[in-house]
Amino acid sequence: MSFETDVSRVEEIAQKLNASDTSLEESLALFEEGMRLSKKLEKTLSEAKSRVEIVLGDESDNAEITPFE
Amino acid sequence: MHDDNLLMKTELSVSEITTLIKKTLEEGFYGLRVSGEISNFKPASSGHWFFTLKDSNASLSAIMFKSSTWKVNFQPREGDKVVVTGSLDVYAARGTYQMKCETMEKSGSGEILALLEERKRKYDAMGYFASGRKKQIPTKPNRVGVVTSSTGAALQDILQILSRRAPSLDILILPATVQGSSAALTIANRIRQANHLLLCDVLIVGRGGGSLEDLLPFSEDAVIQAIYESEIPVISAVGHEIDWALSDFVADLRAPTPSAAAELVSQGILDIRQKVENISLTIRKSMVHTLQLLEHRIPSTTAMQQSIAHLVERREYLLANAGQNMLLAYREKIEKSSQRVILATRELQALSPLAILARGYTLVFDSQGKPVHNREEAKVGEHIKLTFIDGSRKALVEE
Repeated sequence: MSFETDVSRVEEIAQKLNASDTSLEESLALFEEGMRLSKKLEKTLSEAKSRVEIVLGDESDNAEITPFE
Repeated sequence: MHDDNLLMKTELSVSEITTLIKKTLEEGFYGLRVSGEISNFKPASSGHWFFTLKDSNASLSAIMFKSSTWKVNFQPREGDKVVVTGSLDVYAARGTYQMKCETMEKSGSGEILALLEERKRKYDAMGYFASGRKKQIPTKPNRVGVVTSSTGAALQDILQILSRRAPSLDILILPATVQGSSAALTIANRIRQANHLLLCDVLIVGRGGGSLEDLLPFSEDAVIQAIYESEIPVISAVGHEIDWALSDFVADLRAPTPSAAAELVSQGILDIRQKVENISLTIRKSMVHTLQLLEHRIPSTTAMQQSIAHLVERREYLLANAGQNMLLAYREKIEKSSQRVILATRELQALSPLAILARGYTLVFDSQGKPVHNREEAKVGEHIKLTFIDGSRKALVEE
């Protein structure tokens, strides 16, 4: 699943959990799924190690890119 | 001439001569423009500035009041070459004169500013700054390009802010010279390079604070043109908040500082982070709520415990009772049995041969120990054993 669909799924789950006609079994399954997804999203957003790179060459059609520092 | 003669013939008090000097200097020297180098610069806590203007041959005391200093767009330092405007002021009590400054600008900045204004008008007229052609800055970029000095504080600020606010965001540094005559071309080249190779989805072009001259490369034609042609949205981030460059006008967005630019490109990601955190909190809350609702529907556990305890107690009582009954029955049975044993013993005792012997009878056994029941079994000439109640005797059968 993509990031965007994950975000909308978590929103949907939050909405369903708030609805009063959701059964306990359903609620628990939704809760489990929602927590798993939101943990995954938080991880993607906050823990993912970004790449910091620097362009070495200055020709416009042939740039060498290497990690910075 | 006439006055001069008069002055020379008159005796004047210090106050009178000082008043004359004050009148002469203050009325004769106003609306001045003076260029010189700042020395002995002393900003007072009151907000006024005291300093000396000098050149190689002379120096001039100067003061600038708080009401004027706030209009100066740089912090004067020792050795700064400046142009001030103002008038002369005589301080009678000390017999000194000084320059009272109204405005101050760096030497040459007047020409530079005029040039920039003219260039700004030119590009404005060509439609380079039109708001209609500003591109949207992506709210959730994947990779942000930074055109700046690879050794400058601006880059460190940007990296630090991005790693804190959007650690998942990739960063591509396009190192450029940001000061001096070659700067504009390297900056423009980096912008073109990023576009040519489509290296990122937003570009920050900028540098940290500096003098008006330091920031000039960002106002050069080459940079303006490169930003104008950029397919990638450009954020201009030059100097401090009060600084500006023409790149600010042609860029899709102006950030007051490089740090602010980093905050702008990471805002969308930060917002989503907060959104995900909020949703996760909502989910947890609704689950707790659901569980609480269900808990209320379950009969009170204490009542259940009580009824169970009651049931157990009843059975325990019954069990104890049954135990007691069993014990009683058992005892009774033992009693009965022992009665029967006593009776049987008595009966046995009555039947015992010993009892018969006690009554004076004798048991007779042959030599093999077999009981002798009749006359025939007691053979003549054999020994027999007679058993009495108190022991036995051997006897010989004679006839």
